[in-house]
Amino acid sequence: MADVLKIEDLHVSFDTYAGEVHAVRGVSLHVEEGEVLAIVGESGCGKSVTAQTIMKLNPMPPARIKQGKIDLCGKDIVAASEKEMQDIRGRLVSMIFQDPMTCLNPTMKVGKQLTEAIREHRKLSTDEAKKEAVRLLEMVQIPNAPERAEQYPHEYSGGMRQRAMIAMAMSCEPKLLIADEPTTALDVTIQAQIMQLMAKVREETGTAIILITHDLGVVANLADRVAVMYAGKIVETGTAEDIFYRPKHPYTQALLRSLPTVDTDRSEKLVSIAGTPPDLFSPPAGCEFASRCEHCMKVCKKHVPPTYSFGELHKAACWRLHPDFPGQQKEGK
Amino acid sequence: MADTNNRQALVSLEGICKYFNVGPGKTLKAVDGITMNIYKGETLGVVGESGCGKSTLGRVVMGIYHPTKGKISYSGKEVDLKKTKDRFEYSKKAQIVFQDPYASLNPRMTVGDIIAEGMEIHNMYDKAKRQQRVYELLETVGLNKEHANRFPHEFSGGQRQRIGIARALAIEPEFLVCDEPISALDVSIQSQVINLLKELQERLGLTYMFIAHDLNIVKYISDRIAVMYLGNLVEMADSDELYTHTLHPYSQALLASVPIPDPDREAQKKARVLSGDVPSPINPKPGCKFAGRCPHATDRCRAETPALREVRPHHFVACHLVEKEG
Repeated sequence: MADVLKIEDLHVSFDTYAGEVHAVRGVSLHVEEGEVLAIVGESGCGKSVTAQTIMKLNPMPPARIKQGKIDLCGKDIVAASEKEMQDIRGRLVSMIFQDPMTCLNPTMKVGKQLTEAIREHRKLSTDEAKKEAVRLLEMVQIPNAPERAEQYPHEYSGGMRQRAMIAMAMSCEPKLLIADEPTTALDVTIQAQIMQLMAKVREETGTAIILITHDLGVVANLADRVAVMYAGKIVETGTAEDIFYRPKHPYTQALLRSLPTVDTDRSEKLVSIAGTPPDLFSPPAGCEFASRCEHCMKVCKKHVPPTYSFGELHKAACWRLHPDFPGQQKEGK
Repeated sequence: MADTNNRQALVSLEGICKYFNVGPGKTLKAVDGITMNIYKGETLGVVGESGCGKSTLGRVVMGIYHPTKGKISYSGKEVDLKKTKDRFEYSKKAQIVFQDPYASLNPRMTVGDIIAEGMEIHNMYDKAKRQQRVYELLETVGLNKEHANRFPHEFSGGQRQRIGIARALAIEPEFLVCDEPISALDVSIQSQVINLLKELQERLGLTYMFIAHDLNIVKYISDRIAVMYLGNLVEMADSDELYTHTLHPYSQALLASVPIPDPDREAQKKARVLSGDVPSPINPKPGCKFAGRCPHATDRCRAETPALREVRPHHFVACHLVEKEG
């Protein structure tokens, strides 16, 4: 299948008074038509910055794309002017955010906000756009859509606001939907509703989705492929099965073990990852996970590990995966 | 509630209600008649969605809010939290760890002062000994003594939560209310704090009331779990019992909505998504509060409020449709 998005060796930095923050340090990824790619990682690992850079939403300066290529449906995003970006945003790619209340205009009726987005990109009359807005609200399963369209965001509940956001994002049938922590602010029962809705939207419209989250449960539910980010880099990527059942990178392994599930025995101690992520003002010379890694070797602190492939889609960057590493033959395939 | 196992109730709540006036003729019933015991040395998990009153309950238990109705007893003795003296004594025994480690530490105080403040108020130790205790506490929670002179903004979220825990432990309490102590933290840091809380419980014999919405973590840390919905207790049981014999339709829906970090099991899971939102707790309708979203609701549910009954040993549920066993 064709790639909707292809990112190659992306570096993004922020220039601050305290110095340069290397937020994204060489990210390469691709998203195929209709697939869900989940980007997981802790706060500050660069997952949101990567997503925002695809839409060029982070203010530049202070943000700066130092190097790399972003190709979205054949359009070169890095070189695109702000005017070109305005055409691309909404039509080719759109985004939903963690907190729907801060992303909806509180002084404007929800229906009106939707028509505004629709008319910006599609040649429709006001009446047609209104009808389209109601249809979209119905698609995201908002009850009494015609009535609800005439209400303000504060009259909506948290789950309904997120539905309205999804309706707005889907209004121009983008090729790619970026969902930045779409369920983090919601309760579990509402989260389940939104996850179901996102699966339905993807099935009906064939939109590819980049799902950014730290919740591995949500990832297991929705994602086809997963990219694990740590300190501005993708340390491991593969299909959801690869990541959950055959994780190769020590960070992915530790992350999965640190989660208690319903089956975890209470007398067992949780595996925790000691320490905190590195300071991105001055990222470490070698592997960024070395200082917290239980398998850390001398080489890890000095040299950046290369990326090794296991099969077509599964890749991980760790010195222990080197073919000459003793034990690798036993462990790996 | 019968104390069948000869367990000693440390904190007993009897018919606790907390109402807020939110305008003429409008009452927000945040906590509406909760009766429960918290036994010595156990961890009681309290779960529910936002707005179910779990944090309000925690604050009532701590004496931050005065209950509108109801009685709190500590070690069998009633505590009147409106009396300054009772409150002062109670605060020596019960402490709280808050959800937001950014908002709950005074940015103008050094970490050492934050931790020592409680000891000062309760006149514990002399100044030199207090300093000593601060260092010890910092080490207990996995920080070191150089941190005492720093300010909260110099710490990460996980470290701040440790400071919050050290502050709560400073006056050697017996009972700790943890109000979502880990929801603001990253996954890899969450397990550090959970391990710390468990270790401290073993070492110091603490009793916890652990409020959270993450059901996997609650299951892991709790001996017993109470499920709340719109100010009411709907189900309470030992944690394994609650997960294996879930009786209340709301608890069932809540457990079914938790995503499992395992793609195969997630795909096999029967889609049983609860429709609708949590209704407003302002002037709630009579009857079972869950009736509007419950797939099994009958006319009786809409008319009559179900009482909490013991249907299996140590398993309490408030639902008309659950038959008593045995």
